[in-house]
Amino acid sequence: MFKLNLKIILRSIWKNKISSFINVIGLAIGLAACLMLLIYVMYEWNFDKQSKDSANVHVVMTNVLDDKGKVFVTFNGSTTAFAPLIKREIPEVQYISRMDYGNMGLIANGINGFKKKSKFAEPDILKMYDYHFISGDPKTALTDPRSVILTESTAKTLFGTTDVLNKTVKYQEKENLKITGVIQDLPENSSNRFDYLMPWSFYEIVDEGARDLNWSNYSFVTLVSLRSDANLDLVNKKIDELVKRNNKQVSQPNFLFPLNKMHLYGKFEEGKSVGGDIEQIWLFTALAIGILLIACINFMNMATAKSEKRAKEVGIKKTIGANRRSLIVQFLAESMMLTLISVIIAIVLIESFIPVFNNLLNIKMSIPYFNSYIWLGLLSVVLLTGLIAGSYPAFYLSSFNPTQSLKRNVEGKGFFSFSLRKVLVIGQFCFTIILIISTLVIYKQIQFIKNKPVGFDVNALVEMPQDGQLVEKFELLKTRLLKSGAVTSMYQSSVNLSHHGSNFTGLEWQGMPQPENKVMFNRVGTTYDYISTNGIKLTSGRDFNKKYASDSSAVLVSASAVKVMGLKKPVGEVIKMFDTNFTIIGVFDDYIWDSPYQSNSPMVVYFNKVGTGAITMRLNASNNLQQNIETITNITKEINPSYPVEIKFMNSIYAEKLTKEKTLGTLSNLFGGLAIFISCLGLFGLISYSAEQRTKEFGIRKVLGASVASLMQLLSLSFIKMILIATILAAPIAYYIMIKWLDNFEFHTTIPWWIIALAAFGTIAISLLTVSYKAYRTAKSNPINALKYE
Amino acid sequence: MIELKNIEKYYANKGVKSYILRHVTTSIKQGEFVSIMGPSGAGKSTLLNILGMLEEPTYGQYEFMGEDVVSLNERKRIELYRNHIGFVFQAYHLIDEMTVAENIEAPLLYKKVPGPERRSRIADMLDRFNMVAKSDLFPNQLSGGQQQLVGIARALVAQPSIILADEPTGNLQSAQALQIMDLFKKLNEEEGITIVQVTHSEVNAAYGSRILHLLDGVIKEDVTVQQTV
Repeated sequence: MFKLNLKIILRSIWKNKISSFINVIGLAIGLAACLMLLIYVMYEWNFDKQSKDSANVHVVMTNVLDDKGKVFVTFNGSTTAFAPLIKREIPEVQYISRMDYGNMGLIANGINGFKKKSKFAEPDILKMYDYHFISGDPKTALTDPRSVILTESTAKTLFGTTDVLNKTVKYQEKENLKITGVIQDLPENSSNRFDYLMPWSFYEIVDEGARDLNWSNYSFVTLVSLRSDANLDLVNKKIDELVKRNNKQVSQPNFLFPLNKMHLYGKFEEGKSVGGDIEQIWLFTALAIGILLIACINFMNMATAKSEKRAKEVGIKKTIGANRRSLIVQFLAESMMLTLISVIIAIVLIESFIPVFNNLLNIKMSIPYFNSYIWLGLLSVVLLTGLIAGSYPAFYLSSFNPTQSLKRNVEGKGFFSFSLRKVLVIGQFCFTIILIISTLVIYKQIQFIKNKPVGFDVNALVEMPQDGQLVEKFELLKTRLLKSGAVTSMYQSSVNLSHHGSNFTGLEWQGMPQPENKVMFNRVGTTYDYISTNGIKLTSGRDFNKKYASDSSAVLVSASAVKVMGLKKPVGEVIKMFDTNFTIIGVFDDYIWDSPYQSNSPMVVYFNKVGTGAITMRLNASNNLQQNIETITNITKEINPSYPVEIKFMNSIYAEKLTKEKTLGTLSNLFGGLAIFISCLGLFGLISYSAEQRTKEFGIRKVLGASVASLMQLLSLSFIKMILIATILAAPIAYYIMIKWLDNFEFHTTIPWWIIALAAFGTIAISLLTVSYKAYRTAKSNPINALKYE
Repeated sequence: MIELKNIEKYYANKGVKSYILRHVTTSIKQGEFVSIMGPSGAGKSTLLNILGMLEEPTYGQYEFMGEDVVSLNERKRIELYRNHIGFVFQAYHLIDEMTVAENIEAPLLYKKVPGPERRSRIADMLDRFNMVAKSDLFPNQLSGGQQQLVGIARALVAQPSIILADEPTGNLQSAQALQIMDLFKKLNEEEGITIVQVTHSEVNAAYGSRILHLLDGVIKEDVTVQQTV
């Protein structure tokens, strides 16, 4: 019985090629898109959850209070003195490790040096993360201060092999470290990634900040692993009391937050987690389900459309002794079979497109074949889709009385099914149109920001990190580069031209409204040729100049800083930072240095010889670009041979600021395209069936003298009407969603009516094209073919 | 075998009853070959459907093999289909996705006949209808007459005690029609299968042993056919 059923199912799939194709391909694409998004969701969801005891690991957070005692920012920094105290006083703490935030540091095997991501941590970290040691002993790997653990790929880049235990590498050109372990590469979705790990005890040797046990420097991260039976609230209460008792003057409260929640719930308001990237995860999940639903709707619609034919089959089978159950089983098996084929195609699709997707989102995912949840998930998708899609014929048709179904009068009773079909099609196109409108709005917003002036000429401007010898030999580098003609002007500064704010509030000026300033200012330390290199517009005053000895205590301020300070004649005024006086010598126009989507905080650029970190250069436009870069590379390499030369173009740095929104745009483009494709596929299937059913009617009408155009109209009109309704429903929903989205940006575009018109018109045009092809074929066919049938 | 008492069937439309069948009372014995005749709209097919339990009478009593079947539940009715009743339709109603052999096999599968016996019965049927060479063809590869033979083979394979045929030759050429009628006669005489057929044709009716003439839902005549052969 089963074998025969299977055979018959395959035959009927083959016989109804068009509908099977629409079902299978539509569902396969839907499933592939859905699974791809779900794999991504899983990737994000599993952030920091790889190690066995990850649920017990917490990161120490700090609430920064304003002078009214309200939390105004929460961040994951902590002090050096914190960890030893709570390890001693709080019994629930099992392991604890101080770390730095991680840096790009030079590591070398002989002359073979690379800049790789470094991290310092205490030995307890090896107990919190169950790193997989290829060689070395996790118990002793971090005990000797001058030791280092490499990841597999770092070992391979440096030595070409992982068999490197007890060999020596050089850190930052100075210190020799013994390799005490090689571990497998860390997963991409981990917050604490590194290419090599060094002991905290070594950090204390090379870094003054780490050595100094204090309560004021929050430049460190502390991971705490609690005993599994510990109560987090209770521990946090103890920490609060303990810190207050030991540290009378500083009042920034600390608390523990689960590490595996940081990535998705890392947005804090008033010291409480209020979500974060988890919102994006929900969005993607909704998108995944939406796409799958569209494909399932196709499946159901095709099934209901075919119901007339199936009804006859039900009638026959019943008269030869089939009972209802066997029919239900047969119909369900058929739809499960189609789903199964779709799943197989979907997996093939995912395998071939996952590299593109990875590239797009800049992550590394793969199908986790060995994850039992994925298979369980797939199985339930097959069962659920098969059940939903096959439920109509299975449960509704099988209940028919054989004479009813044999007499072909199902249509009269099918009023419900017909209107259900309409509702489903409208729903499908609603979703599609929302996606199209969103895509257009996102695209327009990106264009809007892209076309907004940055505030200076980003072309021909390059920057590189000020590493190693470049700090001390900067003047030499400057002289040589200027002499070579590759560069017309250059400067060093504490941060790059584009940076996240190094904000501070400790600024004083004449005529302050309150004794203490609360506005955050951004500061940049630099020396000569700042303005002449980057080309930011000076509205008054002048750049730093060697002619004026007093410029060593001079400062440039941005126009918005002048506004905040309320200075009438800013040039010549004296302001005070870190108890040092600076004289304002110039005012420059605000430029975009952080997010292009909002106004950046006011900025002061002060003269500071030790503020090093980045070198910015303006290339000589009269030379070939390639040549310029080569010259800079050669000279820099000569002066600073141990470090690789990393030259970045300012225009690509500024283009990168739009990456996140561009990705969102590409994603909504992609999935919007898929949605409209699947929807049109379904539309085509429906109209095919409608045309087939009405062949006879059309034959009669043609014999009576109906024109091709009137027949086409007859067939297409009802479908076009449905899409119009979908548009009317979708437009306000999409408008509302996109207005909400745009509200996230201080600088945002508007949603003009033509975007909605364009989306509606485009959808109608595409569906008209789909419908009219089939309608034309049907209307053109010879009436005799239709009428002699029966 | 079949006892009908005062069977009525009507549709009520806006308070007006339109009768299909009125006061139909008759009995059909085991081994009879009954033809139901009458003009279009006389209620022939409705009567046959009621006999086949495909439709319920609005009123009246119907006993099939001594059992009251008017309010039979679906499960019991299907039992009857599996074991006692074979249907033959004017439009053949074969399952398009199944081959000839599979179409014939289907009722046996539902009846849960074991494999070896199934195969021997199918072989038997194919042999009897000279269709061995066509067993792997699909219905749309056969002529109308051949399709109807498959339809009859399918009705017979479960070894029913009665065959209900609704204009079995309506879609066929006269030569094929004669072949089918000969077959019915043979089945009736040699195997004692009860046959009830609806037909328009006097010629076809002459093959049977009894004719019920229906007019406007009422049995006008019930005649026994004088066997001329």
